[in-house]
Amino acid sequence: MNQPHIHPADAEQYVLGAMEPGAAAALEAHTVACSPCALILQREALLEEQLREVAQAPVQQAQVIRPARWNRPRVSASAAVGVMMAAAAAVTLLVLRPEQAVQPRTQDEDFPVMALPLELPEMPERLVACPDLTSQEVCASEALARGLLVQYPQGVGEVPRYEGHSGIPTDALSASGPYSL
Amino acid sequence: MGVALVQPVQSVVRQPEESARPGGSVLEDEAGLARRALDGDRAAWNVLISRYHHRVVVSLLARGVRVDRAQELAQETWARLVQQQQKGLLTELRLPNLAITQAAFLAADEARRARRESLAGPVEELPEAHQPVDPSVSAERRLLSEEQLSRAQAALRECSTSAQHVFQLACDGQELPHAEVAARVGLSVQRVRQILCEVRKKLRGVLEEEAS
Repeated sequence: MNQPHIHPADAEQYVLGAMEPGAAAALEAHTVACSPCALILQREALLEEQLREVAQAPVQQAQVIRPARWNRPRVSASAAVGVMMAAAAAVTLLVLRPEQAVQPRTQDEDFPVMALPLELPEMPERLVACPDLTSQEVCASEALARGLLVQYPQGVGEVPRYEGHSGIPTDALSASGPYSL
Repeated sequence: MGVALVQPVQSVVRQPEESARPGGSVLEDEAGLARRALDGDRAAWNVLISRYHHRVVVSLLARGVRVDRAQELAQETWARLVQQQQKGLLTELRLPNLAITQAAFLAADEARRARRESLAGPVEELPEAHQPVDPSVSAERRLLSEEQLSRAQAALRECSTSAQHVFQLACDGQELPHAEVAARVGLSVQRVRQILCEVRKKLRGVLEEEAS
């Protein structure tokens, strides 16, 4: 018991199997008689087990439920964005370097450039929301008849539909009595 | 009891760096060793015991078993496995998992027996007075939560690619000795251990932060 107390680094070396046999035997003999040092050794051993658990666990992927329409192909949107960016670049070039605008045309002269709209369409001043799904259709038609803009989620006139099912047949959910699964 | 069936473990235990062969891979001869051990080859058993004894002892320490008792239980574990092989009860030998499971069973059984015997005695003679933690309790506490796992994995991803590679080789269940890991990644054994200590330090911070 006259031996000095062990340090966590000693216990770590012991757990890793990197300690000389004599030193390992001395450490074992000390921890038998010294409870605090036995606790240090146990913590290092516990950490070793936990690290092995971490190393052997599969990498966890985030489980996120997204609206179904997020999975739709966005070819048209990306193409529109590309055209818009090209148009913005062309306008910027004209503004910053007007001398280059009169230079002879190169082989890229047929690059599609969309003219930017100078006047934005007049927006209604009042927006209404129809969040209640049961009355949404009536609400939206009445609002449009009054000249109001109906604001849907994301502004596309659709309610997000979430992918997911309980695995229970729809007949079972609507059955009035017991249903055999 | 069955300890006499195998040589004293101390005489066959080697340091991990001695287990690596310069010419061959540990994994290549692992299946052959297991096959020979299942056939009753004593030398194969000795090699397997020397390779995995320390791992079994550490698993017992993690369960709160005192180190001297952990050594005894590990030796009894090997004796039982050899005994089962001699009776023809072992159809396959997946080490070290089989030995760790057997050792955990022995530790839990001993803890139950000690508790049953000491219930009538004074409080100071309860097994908790001699062991840091009751093994049956610590066995449940050992399991990491999903949150801890994901945070530890995130912390691991912050380490360098080579450090992650070393950590995976050393801890992913293949039970490669450090010398084999060093040979695979082209580093010295000392450097491999240094990397392992650094990764341990990083993950210890994450896991202890979670625990507190």
